[in-house]
Amino acid sequence: MKKGITLAVIAALAVAVAAGTANGSSKVAARSQSVSCSSTLKIAFVAPLTGAAGFLGTEQLTWAKLAVATLAKPLGLKIQLIQGDTPVEQGAAPAQALAQKYVADKTVVGVIGPSTSGAVAASTQTYFQAGMAHISPSATRVDLTYTVNGVKEGTPAFFRVVPADNIQGPTDASYMVNTLHVKKVVVFDFQEPYSQGLSSQVETYLKAHGVTTIHLSAPNTTTDYSSYVTKVPSDADAVFFPTQQPPAAQTFAEQLVEQGKTAIMFSSDGSDAPTQYNKPGGYVSNFAPDITGIAADQAVIAQWKKANPGQSVGSFGPPTYGAVQVLLNAIHLACVADHGTLKSRADVFHNVKKVAIKQWILGGSFKWSTKTNDPLNTKFYIFKIQSDGSYKLVG
Amino acid sequence: MDTFIQLTVDALTLGSVYALVALGYSLVYGVLKLLNFAHGDVFMVGSFVGYGALQALGGPVSPVVPVWLLLVLVTLAAMAACAVLGVAIERFAYRPLRNAPRIAPLISALGVSFFLSNSMQLLFGAQQRDYKSYSLSGGSLYFKGFDIGSVHVPLLRIITVVSAFVLMIVLWFLVNRTRTGKAMRATSYDREAAAMLGIDIDRVIVFTFVLGSALAGAAGVMFALRVPTFAAVGFTIGLKGFTAAVIGGIGSIPGAMVGGLLLGAAESYTAGYWTTTWSDLVVFSILIGFMIFRPQGLLGRADIRKV
Repeated sequence: MKKGITLAVIAALAVAVAAGTANGSSKVAARSQSVSCSSTLKIAFVAPLTGAAGFLGTEQLTWAKLAVATLAKPLGLKIQLIQGDTPVEQGAAPAQALAQKYVADKTVVGVIGPSTSGAVAASTQTYFQAGMAHISPSATRVDLTYTVNGVKEGTPAFFRVVPADNIQGPTDASYMVNTLHVKKVVVFDFQEPYSQGLSSQVETYLKAHGVTTIHLSAPNTTTDYSSYVTKVPSDADAVFFPTQQPPAAQTFAEQLVEQGKTAIMFSSDGSDAPTQYNKPGGYVSNFAPDITGIAADQAVIAQWKKANPGQSVGSFGPPTYGAVQVLLNAIHLACVADHGTLKSRADVFHNVKKVAIKQWILGGSFKWSTKTNDPLNTKFYIFKIQSDGSYKLVG
Repeated sequence: MDTFIQLTVDALTLGSVYALVALGYSLVYGVLKLLNFAHGDVFMVGSFVGYGALQALGGPVSPVVPVWLLLVLVTLAAMAACAVLGVAIERFAYRPLRNAPRIAPLISALGVSFFLSNSMQLLFGAQQRDYKSYSLSGGSLYFKGFDIGSVHVPLLRIITVVSAFVLMIVLWFLVNRTRTGKAMRATSYDREAAAMLGIDIDRVIVFTFVLGSALAGAAGVMFALRVPTFAAVGFTIGLKGFTAAVIGGIGSIPGAMVGGLLLGAAESYTAGYWTTTWSDLVVFSILIGFMIFRPQGLLGRADIRKV
């Protein structure tokens, strides 16, 4: 009896201490999150900088650096860009670790990225719980901002400046049906979120339009696709290959030729890398047009080329510039509202959707959708790989 | 029928690479009773050395030598580099532990494996390296070859399979028809007795590592001629090479060859006739089956202990 009372008292004390500590912690956290807007604020950039998708992150980083260098000062901000690497081959772990690291640093007020959908899914809860806005320039999986089959992986703190796959999938499928006039298509997925979502979108559209589809699933670590190519019927018109590893697309395209298959390769934005995937005759879709044709972008392109001599403007970089532009404007709005001292990161997060850009780097203007954290009125573009390996806009 | 022929071609190509890797495992186990888990990463290093040699010789688009010579030089470069690497691994990671309990060199082998894969990633990055063999000689390695029915067998695959068989035959000759090979066989039967008979054990072991690692280097080039290589590829290929060695009979050279080809067939036919998703599952289930029902493998000898 005595023992029972003693234990009950100890338990009650423990609960009281915990409750008091928690309250104290939140107050401590709130105090520790405030930071002066005149001090150097940090923005984290999270993308695959190494690995098969490293080309994407390194391209995006160059544009993120340019945006910070040119846009922060006019907004009265001192910004330091810090980088985090999330190689796609290592799965969710790097994204989770980086999220923990950045939320623990009070001077990090926002995140550009993560660039890949899997990394977003792995880290968005951590960022949301810390009130950290994270704006992705390239994560396109639908359920990051939409509810799909009752599930929404993204959080209110996640935003993206590019359209979701529920636009890419139908765009690609529509092109295959209406322009390529396909009757039989082999649809791949690579047992990871990006390709599974996209292949599902494409397959649904194709079936609805009377196209015969054959679904193949390959592990993300596959290097030799010979057995898969063998399963592609000789009368297949196209293969939809939504990989995030352009060398894989190149290998598959070459092995198709090796086995005498005539199916056209159709890849998604993850394969958009002219230096690595350039087998003529194939198609690639992406969320950004070629901005070198946009008159209003010539100045920023010139600045980028000066900072990156010898490099060509790709498709992944400009949306990153846009994402940084949105985040910087959100920080500026929050600083103004908080009279020069950011009370917490959540103030930045709450100002993201107030940002509208009149002259958007991808053309036209930028506004947020009122229903989701996606941009309004966006589209995907189709490129065809030419005989010299370059990409030409065809749709 | 065409599907069967195509899958058989795939099986031979894949199996040849696995057989070369498995030979390295069998050679080292036969002489040292050591499972060299770093062997897969030696294969990976070989593929990278081959890539470097290819670039040094002008690259796939405009090589400075004829294509056939380019392939020979690239393979020899990889074999030589891996042979040196094998000697270094033996000298620094295994020799000091030769008289230690058997688990010690095993752990050391795992450590070497991680060291190699992470070092390569640190030095060269995680991105894939593509030999772009399609660009060699205007795609002739893909377009030339012969047809069986409506199945085209490209020259590249013929080169892979024939080269692997030639190397296996050379190895067999070295092991069975030379003095050094005899010394290797004697050492594998009884190391102490071989030493007492005047055989330089250290030299034999080094030679074993040279042979096994050189074969891994060659396998690395043959693999990377068809698919891009990357720093983490050694783990999977090494595991499959080990599986092939066990299936064939660890320590048996003919067994390693048979095991490699069988493994390639299992993987290829499973992917082709059943499901691509589960081909690895089938392969490793076969390994488990052999470990339970025939641990000595197809051509290995049962371990007889006199009481």
